[in-house]
Amino acid sequence: MTRASTWRRFRREPLGMGALIVLALLVFTAVAAPLLADYPSGYGDTVLTPPSGAHWFGTDSLGLDVYAEVVWGAQQSLLVAAAASLIAILFGTFLAVVGAYFRRLDALVSVIVDLTLSLPILPLMILVAALVGPSTMTIILVIAAFSWPEVTRVVRSQALAVVRLPYVDAARLMTSSPVWIITRHVVPAVMPLILVSVVLTASRAVLSAAGLAFLGLGDPNTWSWGRILYEAQQAGAMSTAWWLPLFPSLAIFLLVLAATLISTAYNDARNPRRSKA
Amino acid sequence: MSLFLFVLRRFGRGLLTIWFAVTVTFLMLRLLPGDPALAIASPNMTPEIRAGLLTQYGLDEPLPVQYVKYLGQLLRGNLGVSFSQGVDVTDALMAQLPWTLLLVGAALVVTVILGIPLGVLAAAKAGGVLDRVVQIVAVTGQSLFVPSVGILLLYVFGLQLGWFPIGGAYTDGTYGGEWYLSVVAHLVLPCLSLVLVQLGAYVLTVRSTLIEALGEDYVTLARANGLPHRRVLWKHALRNALLPTTTLIGLQICLYLVGGVILIETVYAYPGIGRGIYDAVVRLDFPVLQGAFLLLAVVVVVVNMITDIVYGLLDPRVKAS
Repeated sequence: MTRASTWRRFRREPLGMGALIVLALLVFTAVAAPLLADYPSGYGDTVLTPPSGAHWFGTDSLGLDVYAEVVWGAQQSLLVAAAASLIAILFGTFLAVVGAYFRRLDALVSVIVDLTLSLPILPLMILVAALVGPSTMTIILVIAAFSWPEVTRVVRSQALAVVRLPYVDAARLMTSSPVWIITRHVVPAVMPLILVSVVLTASRAVLSAAGLAFLGLGDPNTWSWGRILYEAQQAGAMSTAWWLPLFPSLAIFLLVLAATLISTAYNDARNPRRSKA
Repeated sequence: MSLFLFVLRRFGRGLLTIWFAVTVTFLMLRLLPGDPALAIASPNMTPEIRAGLLTQYGLDEPLPVQYVKYLGQLLRGNLGVSFSQGVDVTDALMAQLPWTLLLVGAALVVTVILGIPLGVLAAAKAGGVLDRVVQIVAVTGQSLFVPSVGILLLYVFGLQLGWFPIGGAYTDGTYGGEWYLSVVAHLVLPCLSLVLVQLGAYVLTVRSTLIEALGEDYVTLARANGLPHRRVLWKHALRNALLPTTTLIGLQICLYLVGGVILIETVYAYPGIGRGIYDAVVRLDFPVLQGAFLLLAVVVVVVNMITDIVYGLLDPRVKAS
């Protein structure tokens, strides 16, 4: 299946295209945050005011503009999601394809993956984040450190099927370099799976980062969607000010939903027979 | 004989997983940047106390020796002392565990009770209107952030409508039947939040396995024999499709539920382990965080093991493979 025909079919999926537009808007918001709103800091003059013309999303218990917090939170949330999923994908894919090619390594990799995947990850992330101390770097590394096993699990099963195919055997006759075979034959064959994995890992990273921030383990110096919820909870303002939890929650929801729909639409477009099932 | 081996193998696997969790925790506590004394005592201590603690807990000894001692301590159920409350971590966690188990258990049961019929109805007419609706709702539910759902339900049904209490696990000063009623009333909203987020994954899996089972030969045969459609669907196809997925997804959901329950207990000030973790984060109470992770890991592993073994007893195919 060529890339062009996949894209042609993807464009015909209204949900997928809608999700792509939503994602593009969120990325634009993140990149253009300095143009869209002033960085919220210090104290505002009016505390806990509902949404109005002056403050579209209302103000929080310090009088800060919630719209500005959500806009700058988009930057932080997308940065964490992108960085964490990139690290997890690179590391996870590397172990998966190298393991699939060198079978002795594979046994060890799959045991570690199985063990990690049968542990409750959020409490583990909490412990590490608390030990190391909350910062954006910590959050990214912690999420990446516990996201790669899922990537390895998914990519590995496909890679194992690929290395058994005749054309990989043929490649073995042409070269003795496993690096060449892995990069030229195995990785391209699992690429579609990696693309889907990127999107899903990133969306799970958004939820994990928001979860950590909601428990008070987010970067205290940067606004994130989870931190808005955490501050609202800390100030006891959840019950009176509905706009405080509403807007960051909507942002998280839109981002994760868009990512899920994009990956589904991409899968359907790549493999039209499957979508009929 | 093979049954005995099967049980033994699952048991060994469970032990291996717990050992892995313990080792990862040990390595993290010792090797991550940060003062190891912090992990067992309060941050505001004098250098003398710190040195004393390092000796007392053997933190000045070589790593392998520490590791063996750590294992020994855990085997005796000693998780250290919470420095913010000065109580045994094990005691504190054991007081919280029943509430968390109640919440997770209730959420799991409701998810299964709602999830199976929804999955079956969607699979029965795959591609139909109901199937579309179920799929959209399932995907939407999976994209929700647990605390967001919790806060929304709390705001609407707790604060605005006043149908349910807004926090805690029971009403103080009630006894007997009244107390049990208050426990149920306090359980509804946090449980519902967890169900809303988990249901999608469950329904979608039931749906897809059932669709697959409906294409099998024995289903065609049952239909050819003139059995009513409903009977083929609910009895023949569902029974064979469900057992394996239920265990598989049950385990997955169990893992995600543990994450969700920490967040939802925080929203509802529910006195379980999740709420304890939140308080421990605020006070940087490392022994509690460490103990909570280990305890939750053990719970998940034990639940996994039991479901696996029970399922193996029920399904002859598992023992064979």
